[in-house]
Amino acid sequence: MSLASTPAHIRIDKLTFDYGGERPAVDTLSFDIAKGEFIGLLGPSGCGKSTTLRMVAGLLAPTSGQIIMGGEDIVSRPPWERNLGLVFQSYALFPHMTVAQNVAFGLRLRKVGKEESAARVAEALRAVRLEGFGNRRPAELSGGQQQRVAIARAIVIEPEILLLDEPLSNLDARLRDEMRFEIRDIQSRTGITTLFVTHDQQEALTMCDRIAVMNGGKLEQIGTPVEIYDKPATPFVAGFIGRANSVPATLSLGTGGPRLDHEGQALPAPDLQELPADAGDGAKLAAMVRPHAIQLSRPDGDGLTARVNRSVFVGSVIEVELELAGGQKLVAELRPGSEEAQLAQPGADVALTWRTTDMRIFAA
Amino acid sequence: MTKFLSFISRTYVTLVFCIVFMPMAIILVISFSADSYLSFPPSGWSLKWYGTVLGNTSFMQGFRNSAIIAVIVAALSLALGLPAAYALVRLDFPGRALIRSLVIAPLVLPAMMLGLGILMVFTPAGLVATYPGLVLAHLVMTLPFSIRILQTSLSNLGTDVDEAAMTLGARPLQVFMQITLPRLTPGVIASSAIALILSFDEIVLSLFIVGPRLQTLPVALYRYVDERTDPMVAVLAVLMIALSLAIVLVVERSVGFAKAFGR
Ligand SMILES: Nc1ncnc2c1ncn2[C@@H]1O[C@H](COP(=O)(O)OP(=O)(O)OP(=O)(O)O)[C@@H](O)[C@H]1O
Ligand SMILES: [Mg+2]
Repeated sequence: MSLASTPAHIRIDKLTFDYGGERPAVDTLSFDIAKGEFIGLLGPSGCGKSTTLRMVAGLLAPTSGQIIMGGEDIVSRPPWERNLGLVFQSYALFPHMTVAQNVAFGLRLRKVGKEESAARVAEALRAVRLEGFGNRRPAELSGGQQQRVAIARAIVIEPEILLLDEPLSNLDARLRDEMRFEIRDIQSRTGITTLFVTHDQQEALTMCDRIAVMNGGKLEQIGTPVEIYDKPATPFVAGFIGRANSVPATLSLGTGGPRLDHEGQALPAPDLQELPADAGDGAKLAAMVRPHAIQLSRPDGDGLTARVNRSVFVGSVIEVELELAGGQKLVAELRPGSEEAQLAQPGADVALTWRTTDMRIFAA
Repeated sequence: MTKFLSFISRTYVTLVFCIVFMPMAIILVISFSADSYLSFPPSGWSLKWYGTVLGNTSFMQGFRNSAIIAVIVAALSLALGLPAAYALVRLDFPGRALIRSLVIAPLVLPAMMLGLGILMVFTPAGLVATYPGLVLAHLVMTLPFSIRILQTSLSNLGTDVDEAAMTLGARPLQVFMQITLPRLTPGVIASSAIALILSFDEIVLSLFIVGPRLQTLPVALYRYVDERTDPMVAVLAVLMIALSLAIVLVVERSVGFAKAFGR
């Protein structure tokens, strides 16, 4: 039994898949999905997202591990007995059927009566804002419309779980933005538990209740978008989600509390709780700080001394490239018109610092 | 300059076209000859040779045999080729790659050699000069084509659509009948048409295993030409070309040839 406040609807337990390559494509992956939750599976290309999704769908048999749904391991259940909806990047509509027939397909197999089926198809088409398109063929629809038919076809059967594999990546930028909200909106209204695969961090951050970040077949971190962004658990997550500066530093555990030094200069004092558990005196660590957390002051102020290399106005912020004494480069984002921004003249010396709470520390 | 190039390319295309179609045009002209021997241009015109062909029992028997065999061959080519193509594209089994390349072996072997091999197997089996024997021999020729065409169509379909159907609750047989097969129609029509034409026109293998009691049209024609040449030969050629052309047109009309070959 799970000790979490919400019981797991689907539990993925040490799921592994090996295509026979150097290492498994999915490696002992474990996480829970709560009922009605919208979970994002995020990671770089080739990290095993689709492989994971295909195992949940039953299209690939795991090398080992379990998928628990409703208290039962469904690994040996064929896809047609799993009651799930799958939406591909390629839409995968049935080209020889009308839109209505496409959507009705799953209902027909479930022997749903004619009238009920027609009503549910109409409702699903309404949910994806495609009323009146029932008699068209998929070839007569735009990409976005086809994708919505695919979603309608998947949700009409009221699946246990809706699986989406990069459903937006074939759409142009504007449509993609629209569809983001639309998919999220449909999901909220229907309350269908959803697993959403994407390699786009923006998509994951804006759409998901929680994000599972994968890398090289392994789970790096799972958490809410805010947790993932503010408290990345690994250097990979820190670098993959948003921008991050990584400063190499040496730990010294003196009487005055822990201290991090970079090239002889002290970084803002770290929080003892935040240090890696096995980090002892002299440990080589990496301090991670987001560009917007860096604060600039006059060169005689507190903090690391640095030189301003470049300063670029990019609209909402000014991006400043800074160079520390040892040659380490950092990027800071400043508010245009602020006092800090005045200091950031190319070639100028500045002092820079950040709050302890804005710093994450990893083993180097 | 562009004008010159366009002139060159037009001339070139016309030339190629002439080389390909000249013999056919000549045959067509001769088929309406009134002469009693092959000559070009004919000294007079008539339809009498068409009448002679239609009244010739040997040719009509041959035509009947060829038509029956071609239809059976086309049906069997599809019935045997479709599962084979499906297995080669969709299923994973040891030796798949090897079988994939072996499937087209009959196409690269000289037909003479195949015919000899078939004769040596068929004689003791009592299959020479029988319908089953000819059908089997023709299948050796047509099956590789059917399998290849269906294989291409099938792999062009991809697996996404079938997988989507499967997750919606369709069992493998339902997926195949309701989703895969309808999408495969162009390939099915194309491969059947090719098998039909190949079998109907087949001569080399047939020569080895026809007998006095069972002859195909191409063999009858071949034997006839061996002894004498008159415009009847041209008439037969025209009729055979017309039949093949009709089949091609039906395919073109129903699915389009480019689509039928999975492009
Ligand atoms: N059929 C296959 N045979 C062998 N290796 C495969 C196969 N499919 C995928 N892989 C490998 O498994 C790994 C994970 O692939 P997967 O498709 O799950 O990645 P992904 O995270 O979905 O990537 P993308 O964002 O590019 O879709 C990759 O390294 C890939 O090369
Ligand atoms: Mg993928």
